[in-house]
Amino acid sequence: MKSIIQPTILKGTRDFFPKDMAKRNRVMQIIRTVFECFGYDTIETPILNPAQTILGKYGEEGERLTYNFTRGDTRIALPYDLTVPFARFVATNFRELPMPFKRYQIQRVWRAEKPQKGRLREFYQCDIDIIGTRSLIAEAEIARIITDVFDALGFKRFNIEINSRRLMNDILKRFGVIEKNSEIIREIDKLAKTGEAEVIRELEKYGLTASKGQELLKLLKPEANNEITIKKLTDFDTSEIEEFLQRCKEVGVNVSLITFNPTLARGLDYYTGITYEVTSPDVALGSLCGGGRYDNLCGLFCNENFSGVGVAFGFERIMLALEELNQLNDTQPNSQVLVTLFNKDSIPDALNIYNTLVTSQIRSELYFEPSKLEKQLKFAAKKEIPFVLVRGPEEAEKNEITIKIMKTGKQKTIPLNQLTTYLKNYA
Amino acid sequence: MLKIAIQSKGRLADQSRALLNQYGLEFSCESRSDKVRCTKKNVELLLLRDDDIPQYVERGIADFGIVGKNVLCEKSANVRIQESLNFGQCSLVIAVPKNSLIKTVTDLEGERIATSYPNILRAFLERQNITGAIIELKGSVEVAPSLNLADAICDLTQTGTTLRANNLRIITTIFESQAALISAPTITASLQSFL
Repeated sequence: MKSIIQPTILKGTRDFFPKDMAKRNRVMQIIRTVFECFGYDTIETPILNPAQTILGKYGEEGERLTYNFTRGDTRIALPYDLTVPFARFVATNFRELPMPFKRYQIQRVWRAEKPQKGRLREFYQCDIDIIGTRSLIAEAEIARIITDVFDALGFKRFNIEINSRRLMNDILKRFGVIEKNSEIIREIDKLAKTGEAEVIRELEKYGLTASKGQELLKLLKPEANNEITIKKLTDFDTSEIEEFLQRCKEVGVNVSLITFNPTLARGLDYYTGITYEVTSPDVALGSLCGGGRYDNLCGLFCNENFSGVGVAFGFERIMLALEELNQLNDTQPNSQVLVTLFNKDSIPDALNIYNTLVTSQIRSELYFEPSKLEKQLKFAAKKEIPFVLVRGPEEAEKNEITIKIMKTGKQKTIPLNQLTTYLKNYA
Repeated sequence: MLKIAIQSKGRLADQSRALLNQYGLEFSCESRSDKVRCTKKNVELLLLRDDDIPQYVERGIADFGIVGKNVLCEKSANVRIQESLNFGQCSLVIAVPKNSLIKTVTDLEGERIATSYPNILRAFLERQNITGAIIELKGSVEVAPSLNLADAICDLTQTGTTLRANNLRIITTIFESQAALISAPTITASLQSFL
């Protein structure tokens, strides 16, 4: 017996069937259409990178999860996210780029995670960034894009939580914290998860007494609406939040979707201004999109200083959410029409019809063998092709064609020269 | 000068003028132009094709328009209905040849339906969870079945005479229409007082 290679794939990687890809492409296309509507162009950065581009940017944990290997004399690393490759791209090319520069990027990234539901080793990220401006209009534009994307994807309910890292730092300063801001912010972020008592205990480690900790949490807790939350923080500089919300309103964001939550932290240290996090109460998948304002992201790669703002849409989580919400069930397969072969003699006629259909840009395909009609219909059913065309001698004689509508099994015979009109205007 | 758009000729033309006359807005009938000045007040009449009226009002070229709700619904223009005018009543119906095997709305599945109202029809079919081929025609929709261009029609009817003359039978009414006075979504106080 001939020896064969086990046809396996690596843990944490996936094969996608045509049906999966139809759904993924549909979702990507919706997202891409929104980005492009706001004037974003796309770029692509290499998968193979000099290791120093990628390594040393994601902390100890991230370092461990980065795929890297040696080829000849070169240490090579695969992207861990799209932010660092983008920073490198801007640092390399800023002289040629129109500034401010905005781009979207949908690419695969790799992380050597322990695979589990919603956590893979190879997956897509979907980023937008505006770099080279400090204007809060950029933040408002990002908020508008977020609402348009989730609306277009069919999320009935979603919420954008926002905060200001600047405001957080101001508040912490008044509480006597001058260093370890990031650690403290990260502790506060756990409030919903671990509860108040635990957070206060943790904060003591950073020199905040229990009563100070309590006072801090009370101050940061979001109120019934944004106005009240802002009013509570009147002793601090809330102007960034207020201007941001005002700009959002002006650019047409439904502001009721935005919640100002002063406890929102977003784990990453490099945020300096407004931060965002999107969740939906209809799916328990956590953050579906997040990001914020950063300064000097390119600082590691060049001496120039670029401020930017951007968010990453969690493409794989969004896919899981949409599947859960049954938003993708009606995704159409590519082929809309199967032209069957009645018998060997009918091949020229069938090819002629096929020609007419594809010339009219009707997505169709031809069966390759004049097999039994039953077999051809089974093929159409398996491929979920909605219309099957049959033209035997009787139809040919009258210059007609029979359309079998697979969903209902109904057959409809119409004049052949009405075929493209029928199919194009089918709704 | 205030501008009012009405249908130049057709179903609503005469009654639109009659209504304006009632409110003291008289216009000479002889003019062959598409713009007619009011004989007493500072008002101009724009005589247009009815399906253009919503866009003229939406874009602020006309301050008010008189148009059938059928046209409004089909064009889905961003205008406000100020008032239903209680004339020009008619129904948008789906009709089939008297001897057709199509008896109910469900039987329309997969059939060819001729209409000048593709948007209203599409929305209706979607609500009914029915799919079919929408054959768009600009006019004379009622002859489509007899020419084997369609299996059913979706068309306006006032008295049913045309349908009967073409041997058609109504299977359902999908929309009741009448003339309406429309304006832009927000109007100035002076326009409001004119009303």
